[in-house]
Amino acid sequence: MWKLIVRRTLITIPQIIVLSILVFILAQAMPGDALTGLIDPNIDPATIEAMRERLGLNNPWYVQYIDWVKGVLQGDFGQSFRFKMPVSELIGERMINTLWLSLATLILTYLIAIPLGIISGRFNDTWLDRAITGYTYIGFAAPLFIFALVMLFIFGFQLGWFPTSGSVAPGTEPGTFAYFISKLNHLLLPALSMALITTVSTVQYLRSEIIDTKQKDFIVTARAKGSSESRVYNRHVLRNSLLPIAAFFGYEITGLIGGTIFIENIFGYPGMGELFLSSISLRDYSVMTALVLLFGLAAIIGALLSDIILSLVDPRIRIK
Amino acid sequence: MPKNKWSRYLALPMLSFALILGACSGDEEASPEEGGGEAETDGGQELENGGMYSIDDFSNVKTNEGEAIDGGTITFGLVSDTVFEGTLNWNFYSGAPDAEILEWFDEGLLTWDENYVYTNDGAATYEVSEDGRTFTFTIGDNVNWHDGEPVTAEDWLFAHEVIGNPDYDGPRYNSDFTNIEGMEEYNSGSADTISGIEVVDEKTLSITYIESTPSLLTGSIWSYPLAKHIFGDMAVADISSSPEVRENPIGFGPFKVDSIVPGESVTLSKNEDYWRGEPNLDGVTIKVISSSTVVQELETGGVDLISEFPVDQFPDNAEMSNVEYLGAIDRAYTYIGFKLGTWDAESSTVAYDPEAKMNNKELRQAMWHAVDNTAVGERFYNGLRWNATTLIPPSHPEFHDDSNEGRAYDPEAANQLLDDAGYADTDGDGLREDPEGNPLEINFISMTGGDTAEPLAQYYVQSWEAVGLKVNLEMLEFNSFYDRVGNGGEDDPNVDVFQAAWGVGIDVDPSGLYGANAIYNFARWENEDNERLLAEGRSEESFDLAYRQEVYNEWQQLMVEEVPVFPTLYRAVLSPVNDRVLNYAIGDGTEVYLNELAVNAESPVTAE
Repeated sequence: MWKLIVRRTLITIPQIIVLSILVFILAQAMPGDALTGLIDPNIDPATIEAMRERLGLNNPWYVQYIDWVKGVLQGDFGQSFRFKMPVSELIGERMINTLWLSLATLILTYLIAIPLGIISGRFNDTWLDRAITGYTYIGFAAPLFIFALVMLFIFGFQLGWFPTSGSVAPGTEPGTFAYFISKLNHLLLPALSMALITTVSTVQYLRSEIIDTKQKDFIVTARAKGSSESRVYNRHVLRNSLLPIAAFFGYEITGLIGGTIFIENIFGYPGMGELFLSSISLRDYSVMTALVLLFGLAAIIGALLSDIILSLVDPRIRIK
Repeated sequence: MPKNKWSRYLALPMLSFALILGACSGDEEASPEEGGGEAETDGGQELENGGMYSIDDFSNVKTNEGEAIDGGTITFGLVSDTVFEGTLNWNFYSGAPDAEILEWFDEGLLTWDENYVYTNDGAATYEVSEDGRTFTFTIGDNVNWHDGEPVTAEDWLFAHEVIGNPDYDGPRYNSDFTNIEGMEEYNSGSADTISGIEVVDEKTLSITYIESTPSLLTGSIWSYPLAKHIFGDMAVADISSSPEVRENPIGFGPFKVDSIVPGESVTLSKNEDYWRGEPNLDGVTIKVISSSTVVQELETGGVDLISEFPVDQFPDNAEMSNVEYLGAIDRAYTYIGFKLGTWDAESSTVAYDPEAKMNNKELRQAMWHAVDNTAVGERFYNGLRWNATTLIPPSHPEFHDDSNEGRAYDPEAANQLLDDAGYADTDGDGLREDPEGNPLEINFISMTGGDTAEPLAQYYVQSWEAVGLKVNLEMLEFNSFYDRVGNGGEDDPNVDVFQAAWGVGIDVDPSGLYGANAIYNFARWENEDNERLLAEGRSEESFDLAYRQEVYNEWQQLMVEEVPVFPTLYRAVLSPVNDRVLNYAIGDGTEVYLNELAVNAESPVTAE
């Protein structure tokens, strides 16, 4: 078991290195840099050129890359040109928001997926099941950003149940109970919007898994022994069906990252996704590369987590 | 809900940047002044010709209704698709959203009138010496920082010293500063002090400039002091990231910052010690809202005022019942430019190329005659952008030449000009060849952003095709666009024509955009008369307004004749204001100040 984890971790190291080089080359290939937007006839082009030189933007990519790696190894991701503050501080500020949002989404996703999946699987081909699968098909088809805008419009503006932008009410004292409630209130709608869409694949997985399991021989045996229907489902079917869902968990994290980029923009929720998009448009390279690295890292760790869970629950696939 | 919301969202990452087209000359006042425009009741009035609007029907001052209540708070919506950076100091900020926030709690020592000329009504007054080079400023005795310390001449000098310091990391060090005596020596380190700036006494400062020009009076004086008692001991490179800028920023404006949630909101309370008098309101909340939800926020009363209204959403929401729309003419114009040379980086001048493909005056004049910008303004912008005539927009009423018609839409004249210049269709394919008989293909680039960018560019291509010119269109994202136009001096030789826009500063002098040694002279055009007129406009004689007007009228006419670029559209800015808000105006020189801002009810009016 440990051997697998160590091996799997070792593989991620070259993955991360390749990822970071790729990010760097792609960033270099993008037209313009942080100073391109500074089109101001009052500023002498020589001053801009001097700024470029000072920021090292004129160096070839590998020099910039080495400088950057040196910094990263010491925990220094550089300075954000746009925010004029250290990247690590900036990302730290935003990461908390994104972490809360992802966590809330994850919880909601499973809160929705597990009961729906079980009902759908247990009573398959009934009207209830058809309604649930109907919902999952709509969920597959509906683009997240459109769905989120509709949710924002209905629950945020029409009904006024939820705040429509930001991560906390302006002027709330950090650390107080009111602050916590306000934070929760602000992330509920974005998290729900995302969960309602991302949950559908988990519902489907669970449903087909249950349908599959309930026809297995050991279930027939359990029934033959006289177990009650609820015992059959709770003890035998569910346990076996949840395993692949648990394994899917790691990939779920990866999916969340893609989702938060849209969601944060729509709900004006200042997290990493929002920061990422604006950093690309404004060519704030140091922030962008740090974020891509973080996203990549999260994806790799997610996959690693899935592999580990999978091997824990299913010894057959363990690598010798 | 606007039905085209989706597409707007898709364009979201680019939208805001495509609109910030640069060239603002570092002057902070965000909104331009509006000429004319009478007060009116509610919202923009729809004209008879179905769905068309005109800037003349908007006032830039809010109509006051009802009695102001004591105190109250309002919410200001900062419309931006990106968060604000939080560099909350005039001496360091670089993003427009930061400036919107700064307006509320800090201000310049000098104010200006509707013609952008400094007045003596501000926190400081000024006197000019005989030779026009030395300015003596006196800061009012009641002007104090939020912490109670007086704003002093030392603070003002300190701002200059910090910006002129080689470690300074903001974007302010420009020609306005190098025009101060001794500034370049100070910047290069060969002098310890700036010889041209002298602290006379605690509240009096004098600054001597190298060159006296009327531009000094219109925004070229740096009037934002930096609190020396707070920042004096910091290393210059550390100031912009310090908590005194980002978390507890200081100013001497009508409101004080209470708390900041980074990137999303700021709460402010009134500064009872404000030098113009105690503000009416108890406080202001500033929050960032996305351009896709502005309308909903306004209708539900979520915000009372906003920084910038997406004008393309106006036709659908003109009847919003709980707001009054204020309007003004934007200090900006859209234009089409022709590439007439390249940039010589060695000598930092334009390398004008008489042999360039577009270097035929008649061809350029014909291309202007071939496009109908009145129709473009009506079809694409419901009249909220309209046909531009000259390169000085009407936002500068003193200098915009009303009598100059530019070049009207006239395809006949365009054809005639092309025929006369020898652009004939020699091979019978319906398209003209150049005078030598070679096929003529013109490459046109334009920027993406918003729903209408591409159809609009296509319209121009079709208009030119209608007079027999073959034009290839390429749509580019903001950064690539300016890269190829020659933002860094490396022009793409394959670009012949480009469409872009300039936001112009409050100073009318256009030499930063059209002078022979301006890198932003993207047309790479050089002309003797042009150089002469630009120099005359900056000269000492131009302190005489009538003389300067004459110079710029002549310049506008020269540009209509030579057409290195031609203006296409002028634009309106609209600002919806909740009905409960009193004493509010947009634009310059309105003499309505934020301390007078008031409300007539505790909570905002909501839409029916």
